[in-house]
Amino acid sequence: MSRPTVVLLVEDNELNREMMVRRLGRAGLEVLTAGDGAQALSVMAAEQPAVVLMDMNLPVMDGWTACRRAREDEAIRHIPIIALTAHAMEVDRQNALEAGCDDYATKPVDFPGLLIKIEKLTRK
Amino acid sequence: MTGNPVPPAEGWGESMQQVIDILRQAFDARGGNLATQTRDDFDHLFSAAGRLEPMLASGGRAIDRHELMNVLAAVRGYAEMLREDIGTQHSDFSDMLSALLTAVQGAQGSNSEPSFSPNRVIQSEPGFILAVDDGQENRELVARNLSRLGHFVITAASGEEALKALEHSDVDVVLLDLIMPGMDGREVLHRIKEHPEWRATPVIVISGSQDMDGIIECIEAGADDYLFKPFNPVLLQARIKAGIERKRWHDREEQYRQQLERNEKFIRATFGRYLSDEIVTDILERPEGLQLGGDLCRVSILMSDIRSFTSLSEHLAPGEVVSMLNRYLGRMTDIIMAHHGTIDEFVGDAILAVFGAPLHRDDDADRAVSCALAMQAAMDEINALNEADGLPAISTGIAVNTGDVIAGNIGSEKRSKYGFVGHPMNVTSRIEDQCAGGEILISDSTLKSLQGEAELGRSQSINVKGIDETILIHELKGMSP
Repeated sequence: MSRPTVVLLVEDNELNREMMVRRLGRAGLEVLTAGDGAQALSVMAAEQPAVVLMDMNLPVMDGWTACRRAREDEAIRHIPIIALTAHAMEVDRQNALEAGCDDYATKPVDFPGLLIKIEKLTRK
Repeated sequence: MTGNPVPPAEGWGESMQQVIDILRQAFDARGGNLATQTRDDFDHLFSAAGRLEPMLASGGRAIDRHELMNVLAAVRGYAEMLREDIGTQHSDFSDMLSALLTAVQGAQGSNSEPSFSPNRVIQSEPGFILAVDDGQENRELVARNLSRLGHFVITAASGEEALKALEHSDVDVVLLDLIMPGMDGREVLHRIKEHPEWRATPVIVISGSQDMDGIIECIEAGADDYLFKPFNPVLLQARIKAGIERKRWHDREEQYRQQLERNEKFIRATFGRYLSDEIVTDILERPEGLQLGGDLCRVSILMSDIRSFTSLSEHLAPGEVVSMLNRYLGRMTDIIMAHHGTIDEFVGDAILAVFGAPLHRDDDADRAVSCALAMQAAMDEINALNEADGLPAISTGIAVNTGDVIAGNIGSEKRSKYGFVGHPMNVTSRIEDQCAGGEILISDSTLKSLQGEAELGRSQSINVKGIDETILIHELKGMSP
């Protein structure tokens, strides 16, 4: 059996984080977690996950900043990031893409849709 | 599109608390039958829901919106996960979970579409809905939501499945997810709108991402409406209702069109064999239709007969007789139709045609006479073909007479046909008896009705059997207008 896809979930709300970990795990993914943007960058560098699911409203370092930093860092710039944004505003989408995210999903997350996005980004 | 989050719908707290309480009671009573993992998920669900209680108890005054959205997202996630696991095994639990999800959706409001009171239900005529989505839970959610309102819902998990479903059932509305692996929603939409029978079926596209450009493209490609995920159930119902109404309207229109087409086909089938296309079209286009009573009308009657056909046919095989006759009658029919004559009947090799009914024209006699000349002229060609097939040469005699006849639907209830009766019919037959092969004889009444100049041969008077009357007839050689 091939190694399961490793996903890094960046989410500060522990209730949601726990739920997402269970749900992603149920879908056959291995899940790492981080609670803020700075942690996310160090886990990305150390564990090299296949994809990152990044909440944008994070303490310490927010998602936008974390994305831009990730794109400037040789060691992790190749890791695809899916932004999880709170609203479906066009500006949010633009901001996420400009910050270097590869895709985005609106909260509340459509889970099957999110799995497809993960699958698309990790297939390459 | 508004970007501001819309506040939760009124009264969401109570309905959600109710659903959670019922679910907890059911779990306490029957949860023992569930798998360990599922029970574990239920525990998580209840502990997340427990965070809601203080917020609900505050009556909405002290709600931290950010915290509320986080809790709702967790409740929703567990509920969705549980419903996937449970599937159809424990339908009581999955129904309760669906109710909870509806309540959560009402509380979450929507970022793109106005929210509605969760208790509001759109009443609609029941329809046959095809829901296409690769996500099982989305399909189930839609199916449950719509079948509760009396719709019949079939689901498809892929574009390919959707096309198969369309082939086998008469679908009223297609609910189409755009993003699917394999054949995606856009491709399905194109296939539907290119298909002659499906193209009128309303398609509501569902987009998971808030992608307005994509939606506009779909609407240009023929989509009738759209929804963004997660969609409000009431909005879904309203759009389905509009789709069903559109489809019903189209169906009624189509039925009416087919009825008209059937009527026209019936009229063409009934009259087409006797009347030229042009006359049938004339009749169809007259709004009052054709009055099929008995009309007295002045007509020119053409009668033709192959000379000594009976004795000729005795020397031929039945198949040869039929093929020779069909060639002859086929050619003659074409010529009569071209002259706008009405073929009354064929009797063996004899043809009876009428010019001037059901539609009168001033040149009825002229057309009858030109028709007779054209028929004689065609005989050489027919005989050349006969000779090539080893069949004997034939010759025909044609009589044309003009007079008043009764035209109408003649016969009994069960069998009737448009036909003609009257003395001039019999007279024509007597004139025809006088014809030699290759000859055309016209009555004096026809001659007097002609607008053109007839070139005549000999003239003679004949006695008509049964009637004490002599009739003047003329041999016709040709005619100039």
